[in-house]
Amino acid sequence: MKNLLELMGVEPDRIHFSWISSAESTKFVQVVNEIAEKVKALGPNRHFVKQEAKVA
Amino acid sequence: MTDWEPKIVSFLCNWCSYGAADLAGVSRMQYPANIRVVRIPCTGRMSPKFALAALREGADAVWVSG
Amino acid sequence: MITYSNKIKEIAKRLLKECRAEMVIGFRKGSIPMMNEPCFVRTDEQADDLVWDSHCGINLANYLTSRDEKIAIVAKGCDSRNIVNHIVENKINREQLYIIGVPCQGMVDKRKILAQTEGEVLQITETENGQITVKSANGEKTFSKSDVIQQNCSVCIQPNPVLYDEMVADPVQGQTDIDQFADVRALEAMSTEEKRAYFDELLAPCIRCYACRNACPLCYCPTCFVDESKPQWLGKSQDIMDIKTFHFLRAYHCAGRCTDCGACERACPVGINMRILTKKLNKDCLDLYDWQAGMSIDKRPALDVYQTNDPEKFIK
Repeated sequence: MKNLLELMGVEPDRIHFSWISSAESTKFVQVVNEIAEKVKALGPNRHFVKQEAKVA
Repeated sequence: MTDWEPKIVSFLCNWCSYGAADLAGVSRMQYPANIRVVRIPCTGRMSPKFALAALREGADAVWVSG
Repeated sequence: MITYSNKIKEIAKRLLKECRAEMVIGFRKGSIPMMNEPCFVRTDEQADDLVWDSHCGINLANYLTSRDEKIAIVAKGCDSRNIVNHIVENKINREQLYIIGVPCQGMVDKRKILAQTEGEVLQITETENGQITVKSANGEKTFSKSDVIQQNCSVCIQPNPVLYDEMVADPVQGQTDIDQFADVRALEAMSTEEKRAYFDELLAPCIRCYACRNACPLCYCPTCFVDESKPQWLGKSQDIMDIKTFHFLRAYHCAGRCTDCGACERACPVGINMRILTKKLNKDCLDLYDWQAGMSIDKRPALDVYQTNDPEKFIK
């Protein structure tokens, strides 16, 4: 999934996968922090978004 | 755009990461408020369609966690 | 090629007579040159229509989905791999099938011929040694077959059927030292921006006719995701995002199943090379899981099994 999205020109950091057990709340917080940081660094997603139809 | 915050659509498995998120909550842990959680019954329910739909509708990132 | 055709006719007649098959699926001449059409032969006379030449690019495995009669089918290398796919996916029983294997020497890309020919093509003939003569309104022109072959045929690794009951001729020599994925690698090397631009340009002419989907033997869902309206996964418009979503998901549905038969590209009325997407997935399947679709009816597909050594680097 990630590989093909990347091929189509989506930044790799826009999609994340992880495996967290229900007891690992610390890991959860860690991963959220990590992902949020990475995405902030990327900036808003401007390209893979469907634009609303423009009404003349 | 300086106060821009990303929106991260998170698909969390009911039994794993959703539980972890719940535990993090009851333990009063601090984490960024950028994630928007979608609870799925199991990561096996995940489909590429979901990820694409999220991105199309303007999500800044997608996170799948089991 | 004449010998192939005759042999196919002969086998078809014999199978029908012996009631080994109720129907033979093969090719007959289309109404215009270079457009052979699939035909479904049920009688002796119809069997005389069967032909084989370099314009049989349509993947006949497409017509096997959920059939319940006994069928004999003419299959080249890629068709046979798709038949294997169908058997593995329980869309047809092996016992129902009588596979007439055809060693394939590649199919002609009619766009390449049309691009180099002036005026309407009236007639096309080919010789055993790979010369193709095109008679058009403006004269005659001869091509070497290797120059006008379909791109996927030029990197074909399996010209001979993998599964057959009878062959119409001796197997042909397969290509061994070819780089199947040169174009994918070139694309992978691009930056994110370049990739985006590449796909914007590649998919811009798409008119969303879904011919690629319909020609594909893998696409047999009763309701395609493009037709689902609750929820609606993608819009019906010509918006580049809708087009991209469609091609992305279509390719993804073929992950680990695509045999690179080229039916999608061949069917496309505007000539988009959407095979680049499925090829990328084929390459990943080969690199990550050592898997090539449709090679054996005993193996389960890569995305169907879990192994402890499956790569999981992408998971945090």
